[in-house]
Amino acid sequence: MIFIGQPNSGKSTLFNYIAGFRAETSSFPGTTVKHSHSKVNVAGQVINIIDLPGTYSLNPSDEAEKVALTHLFQERPDLIINVVDASILGRSLEMTQELLELEYPMVVALNMMDLAGKKGIHIDPEALQERLGVPVIPTIASQGRGIKELLDAALQVLKTMQVPRLLSWSKDVEDKIHEVERAIPEDFQIVANRRFTAVKVLEIEKQFFHRMLQEINPAFKQAVDRVRSELEGRHNAPAYEVISAERHHLAMKLFEECCTVKRGASLSWERRLDDILMHPFWGYVILLAVFLSFFLVIFAVASPIEEALLGPLYDLRASLAPSLGTGLLFYLVDGLLQGVGGGIAIVLPYFLPLLFLMSLLEDISYLARAGFLMDAFMHLIGLHGKSVSPFILGFGCNVPAVVSTRILESRRDRIITSLLIPFIPCSARTMIILALVAFYLGPFWALGFYLLNLIIVALLGRLLALFYKQPSPGLILEIPALRAPSLSNILRRTFFQLRSFVQFAWPILIAGSVVLAVMQYLHFDRFVNWLLAPVVDGILGLPGDLGVTLIFGFLRKELSLIMMLQALGVSYQDLMTVISREQLLVFVVFMNFFVPCLSTVAILWKEIGRREALLSMALNTSVALIIASLVRMVLRI
Amino acid sequence: MMTLMNAPRDARLRIVEIEGGHGVRRRLMSLGLHKNDVVEMDSKSIFGGPILIRNLRTDTSVALGRGIARNIMVEIVDQK
Repeated sequence: MIFIGQPNSGKSTLFNYIAGFRAETSSFPGTTVKHSHSKVNVAGQVINIIDLPGTYSLNPSDEAEKVALTHLFQERPDLIINVVDASILGRSLEMTQELLELEYPMVVALNMMDLAGKKGIHIDPEALQERLGVPVIPTIASQGRGIKELLDAALQVLKTMQVPRLLSWSKDVEDKIHEVERAIPEDFQIVANRRFTAVKVLEIEKQFFHRMLQEINPAFKQAVDRVRSELEGRHNAPAYEVISAERHHLAMKLFEECCTVKRGASLSWERRLDDILMHPFWGYVILLAVFLSFFLVIFAVASPIEEALLGPLYDLRASLAPSLGTGLLFYLVDGLLQGVGGGIAIVLPYFLPLLFLMSLLEDISYLARAGFLMDAFMHLIGLHGKSVSPFILGFGCNVPAVVSTRILESRRDRIITSLLIPFIPCSARTMIILALVAFYLGPFWALGFYLLNLIIVALLGRLLALFYKQPSPGLILEIPALRAPSLSNILRRTFFQLRSFVQFAWPILIAGSVVLAVMQYLHFDRFVNWLLAPVVDGILGLPGDLGVTLIFGFLRKELSLIMMLQALGVSYQDLMTVISREQLLVFVVFMNFFVPCLSTVAILWKEIGRREALLSMALNTSVALIIASLVRMVLRI
Repeated sequence: MMTLMNAPRDARLRIVEIEGGHGVRRRLMSLGLHKNDVVEMDSKSIFGGPILIRNLRTDTSVALGRGIARNIMVEIVDQK
């Protein structure tokens, strides 16, 4: 049983409501695109349910959509649950029609009925059911309404294997489709059914597909090309546009037949609020206020919790030390403990509140508005508004930020965004900036540090745009209606995001920590320090003991501060007695811009590619060296 | 006829033509913007940022970068 629907249709809310927290996420074979799945028991029957990423149509345009659809075609599901946003039924029905064309058994969940009601749209589900030939069940996923009815209908359809009614288009278009249908050769791979295959063959405009068809069956390609050019000639538009227009007209017709619209007055305040949120002046004031309070909240929550968590960890270490001796065992346990503890000390206080607030902003649909407002600035660095939310996520942890670049349609935008993300100070680096710069030099230095950081990100963006010349296709971003936040929704979203961090980044963190401990045991660190002395001492002007900390910091950046203190052999309070303010600043600058961590490199490798991951490491290393030596030069003057 | 970029804010506009590459046009269609749809411009952000249009037939809002807005030809249906 597959859940499919357009983005923002409340599909995942509905899915999560049914699947609960037991839902697991896993990747589609051979890809990193995730889907959630679960087994549920409906009236004594165990059913596999799968939540596909939201997609606007069956003509995929970004990575996630492509994978979702491949799955839909290959693993012919027993049943599709098409979740539609009832408040924008007219548009949603376009994809519903495409799904009907598959002729798989299907149920339509008419979701967000409450929002539709508020908009003054009255929908007659029975009339719609009559016309589509599949059950149409009104639901309000955020309140859990209509779910039982939905599952009942699903079971009923599974039992009868009822197939949807085919809706037909204008006669001349239908005639052309029949022509292609008849021409499909025996050995051609049929997707779903003959008609659907014919429509897709006509619609597709991808070059590689045409070349492929030419190779397998030139005669069929000729027939398709002839029909296509007849169709295009008659309508004076590309075939896919003709077909899309047919679906659009039919959707509007269905909408008019099944709905009555009274313009409700109740929505006008939401529109007024939106006018302010998207206002050319007030919009930015609000945006700034939102993000300032965002960071204030995180830091207000984080520091005390972090201290409370790290205290017991050190006590544990101290109490274990005598019984473990000074052998390899001690180093192994110590590395393990620090890796686990470092994860907890970062995740709970910094990352969790950030995820929660991000989920909140997403739940009320504010993130899309932030993307709209920031678009102009993102253009300055060669990107557009859709890259805003990966960047914000990057302040929490770079790993999920790189993953979230999947929402970008063009590979160029994905690469540039992913190369810039490692320069966004994540919570681990923020901790270091706070502990060293804010504590020893004052909060304004820390603020200035952040500002410098953002300027450098912008400059790098410009620089990268020079190398990745293909123009960005530009922003096309749906701005969904504002919604009241739902706590359970936000908590679920936070939980799933957090789980993917714990499963991916944390193990790497722990492993890195152990490796470092073993290196210490073998006294490999002295050798590294000696090797790195020309750079550390010569270029950066830092104590030679910090070599290992600087370079291998990327194995566990969150613990760089502790490593630094260990390397210098001083306590936090006495730090300034062994290094100068300039050295402190140079150290933090280098730490901050250098390769963030092993997990980030690993995820870049997985998501974008090996070449880009290596490029990212080289970029981070050179930027860190250049900026750190510039800072050193400026401070000397 | 004019591009969406030059269209006035307080008018209902009919989409006459959508130009540009296949990918962009398809994306626009799947987001519910088709020829002959009636839209209105809700917001135009500063510094060459995107514009916000609302499709009055389907009641959906879409933000469009200016490069894309320049490729959409519209005509005024009526002024508000």
